[in-house]
Amino acid sequence: MQAPDLIPVIPELILLVAACLVLLVEAFVKPGAADKGSPADKGAPAAADKTAVLAIALTGIIGSIVVSLALTGQDRVSFAGMLALDDWAVFFKVLFGLGAAITILMSPRFLEAHRRHLGEYYALLLFALIGMDLMAAARDFILLYVSLELMAISSYLLAAFFRYRERSNESALKYFLTGSFASAIMLYGISLVYAEAGATNYADAGRVLAGLGNDSGVLLAVFLVAIGLAFKVSAAPFHMWTPDVYQGAPTPVAAFFSVGPKAAAFSAIIAAFIVAFPGTVKEWGLLFIVLSIATMLVGNLWALVQTNIKRMLAFSSVAHAGYLLTGLGAMGWSGNSLPGRGMLVYLAAYTFMNLGAFGILAYLKTQMPDKFDYSLKQLAGLGRRSPWAAALLSLFLLSLTGIPGTAGFIGKFYVFSGVVWADLWWLAVIGVLLSAVSAYYYLRVIIYMFFKEPEEEYAIREPISGGMAMALSVSAIATLVIGLVPSWLWDAAVSAVRMLFD
Amino acid sequence: MSLTILTFLPVIGALVMLVFMRGRPSAYKTTALVTSIITLGVAIYLTATFDTGAGGFQFIEKHDWIPGLGISYHLGIDGISLLLVLLTTVLSVVAILGSWNSIKDRQLAFFISLLVLETGMLGVFVSMDLFLFYVFWEIQLVPMYFIIGLWGGARRVYAAIKFFLFTFVGSVLMLVAILAVVWWYAKNGGPLTFDILELQKAGFSGSLAIWSFIAFFIAFAIKVPMFPVHTWLPDAHTEAPTAGSVILAGVLLKMGVYGMIRFCIGFFPEVAVKAMVPVLILSAIAVVYGAIMSLVQPDMKRLVAYSSVSHMGFVTAGLFTFNQQGIEGSVLQMVNHGVLTGALFMMVGYFYDRTHTRLIKDYGGMAKPMPVAAAFFSLFVLGSLGLPGLSGFVGEFLILVGVFQYAKVFAVIASVGIILGAAYLLWMYQRTMFQQANEKWISLKDLSAREIVALVPLVGLTLWIGLYPHTFLNLLHAPAQNIISQVQPYLAEHGGSLAGLASSFFGGF
Repeated sequence: MQAPDLIPVIPELILLVAACLVLLVEAFVKPGAADKGSPADKGAPAAADKTAVLAIALTGIIGSIVVSLALTGQDRVSFAGMLALDDWAVFFKVLFGLGAAITILMSPRFLEAHRRHLGEYYALLLFALIGMDLMAAARDFILLYVSLELMAISSYLLAAFFRYRERSNESALKYFLTGSFASAIMLYGISLVYAEAGATNYADAGRVLAGLGNDSGVLLAVFLVAIGLAFKVSAAPFHMWTPDVYQGAPTPVAAFFSVGPKAAAFSAIIAAFIVAFPGTVKEWGLLFIVLSIATMLVGNLWALVQTNIKRMLAFSSVAHAGYLLTGLGAMGWSGNSLPGRGMLVYLAAYTFMNLGAFGILAYLKTQMPDKFDYSLKQLAGLGRRSPWAAALLSLFLLSLTGIPGTAGFIGKFYVFSGVVWADLWWLAVIGVLLSAVSAYYYLRVIIYMFFKEPEEEYAIREPISGGMAMALSVSAIATLVIGLVPSWLWDAAVSAVRMLFD
Repeated sequence: MSLTILTFLPVIGALVMLVFMRGRPSAYKTTALVTSIITLGVAIYLTATFDTGAGGFQFIEKHDWIPGLGISYHLGIDGISLLLVLLTTVLSVVAILGSWNSIKDRQLAFFISLLVLETGMLGVFVSMDLFLFYVFWEIQLVPMYFIIGLWGGARRVYAAIKFFLFTFVGSVLMLVAILAVVWWYAKNGGPLTFDILELQKAGFSGSLAIWSFIAFFIAFAIKVPMFPVHTWLPDAHTEAPTAGSVILAGVLLKMGVYGMIRFCIGFFPEVAVKAMVPVLILSAIAVVYGAIMSLVQPDMKRLVAYSSVSHMGFVTAGLFTFNQQGIEGSVLQMVNHGVLTGALFMMVGYFYDRTHTRLIKDYGGMAKPMPVAAAFFSLFVLGSLGLPGLSGFVGEFLILVGVFQYAKVFAVIASVGIILGAAYLLWMYQRTMFQQANEKWISLKDLSAREIVALVPLVGLTLWIGLYPHTFLNLLHAPAQNIISQVQPYLAEHGGSLAGLASSFFGGF
């Protein structure tokens, strides 16, 4: 048997080594004395110096990003066609890496404030990242499933990371149960694909399934795989877990959930559906169009009535999944990969602006661990007390709204441009009108921050410092740069999509 | 380069203020004023070097921005945009002078917002690329939202979000229309481009043209605002601080008409001709409705706000007559309205700074303690109601001539609007400046030198346009001819008569 080409997985190998090192080094870090503070955190160890652990994790991620970038322009297939290294995989590996790095940067103070600063956290993030990378690189349903589970199981553990807190447990349990159902449904879909096509490789299955047309067995397989992945991107009506999970999970983890696994699931959907289900493009295109309308509606309308910002951002992430799904629907409907380019740009833009928005919440929680409960009211007067945090949060919210000059606008512009290109202008109209609805709930946060006076005094230390400052400035700069000079990102998206589908 | 300098100078000034002058009010206020004056200087320089004889766009700048989609950084101005650029820069100076002492809270943020807003407005008028236009069009929402929401009156939060949402809904529809026309052109033999001049050659037709026209038109009609999508305006104007009202009424409303000229007519002349009758009907309703609403307002600022609805009705009516007088009058009236309504808002602001009330019934006999203010106020009131010799008359007269040529019935209705205008303005003036003096205000100080300086340019423009409009009309001949030549083939086709157009409208949609 021929040895597999390992070059395509070097980024993941680096991450794997880093994750193992994190666990090893963690064992040698002297723990702090047990804390006898608040009853909720009883028995939790006090802060110990985790600089080494952090350094390893970040070095690993940066190493994997650098190596991925160095591998741009390659076109390699490995592990018997299970996995590919091309610009598509590189695009997502870099994006996921950046997302994870920002998450790690915003975590330490937050975890310290909750007295749960453990090395496992970083190891779990790295494992989830490996899973995401492999999802984007996968060219085979089996690898897709395995890497998705790697990502998912790490995520369940991350959600439960504050195991002393009820909400965190609830969050993890919900995530685990719904996630398992979704995985099982998808796996059943994959088994049907195998039954119909006799292959699990995307391209091989695609060749056979194209010949079968829209046979009902094929349709069922496509439908089940789509539903399984729709859970992961929190498309309505499979979004119910999202607000509870985000609300209960530690804020940096929620930030990561809202961008990482979601983007990974989208990368998998685009790759798998275009390559493996070419004979049923119209059908799955229609399915995603229907899902996108439902998702945009549910996300935006439910976000309107939230008074907890974390839940609001959770529903907003549902809404953004809806905008992305319109691109997917357009891809299927037109049978062309062109609308997919816009989705890539959107995913990149969304990663930075959403991480930034959650990051500010994490910062506020770090500053006021006991007081801040993420209610909108508590943001009143933030503009005076903490002008930087308020200004940055405004930037991220305006970007989420889609105001030009920010990444969010560029993302929406490209996605809806693809949708209109596919002659689905009515879908674009629904999308933009609902994004006008979203302006209301995003602006409401700005209203509280700047236009209202606080009900009670609270103390926030400015300037923002340390890793959080880095995480927020990277997010903010990326949000602005993508907003003002987007052409490099567009070019990257074009070459990524071309590599996959030509 | 000159247009880039013009557009981004205010933002550079704002950055300088933000970085170097925090906590030093006199320094950053002076910087804001100097920046806006230099910007005005650039605009005047442009006017001086502008070749009025040559049609088409001048001071062109073009660089690739997002080449993958044919989006470029493309600037240029013709006579219409030049006039609006001048108006913007003048009113920005006035607005900054006018808020010198009346803004007490977070002054730095306020002046930065004003300058950013100026860049956004100038960008809208100089953009020659649809994408760039859209970017500027949306970006100016943000500073205006903050200006209303942070420094406005009692119901400012409601007014701010209403303003934002109304405009935003319109503009996202426009975004879809932009994408639709760009892709249609790219798929039907044209290049993939967002270039406005290129797209004007595309000759959009059929249902695409009708739907895109409607989307563009809704976006711009909300901004103008035309009846029945005007309801955000009274709230926004009333609650905004003085400078915000001046800019809102003076410039932001003009962006709507400017958009109609460039896109609704420029891209879809055929549909625009079909839309003449409905637009004229809506304009006539706006003229009369706005005037009647003004009559019954107890609040001075709200009265001026509703008068904007009425006056902007004239502007849209003049534009959609598609003859020389109508179009030139319409553009000139935009400038007049900007100057005069801006001035009226300034005056109301001055009174409000002293009395902290805007209700007409709280005033009375103001001419006694404040004779200078009363004199200025009378000039602007008379200008606004269309007294010959002042600017308002020239614009309204030209528009009436244009409308009369096209359909006498609309000219009659519009004249009723003018009469009503005289009624509500004079009645307000009488109740506030004359009549029984209110004891409380007897010791009020008259206008300060700074306050007078802020009004001088507005007085100058009112008289200049009123007495010698040729200077300004000269800039408009070529662009007006341009518009007429665009719609001419379709006008001829429809016989040009009201009856013919009416039947083509009802049959055509």
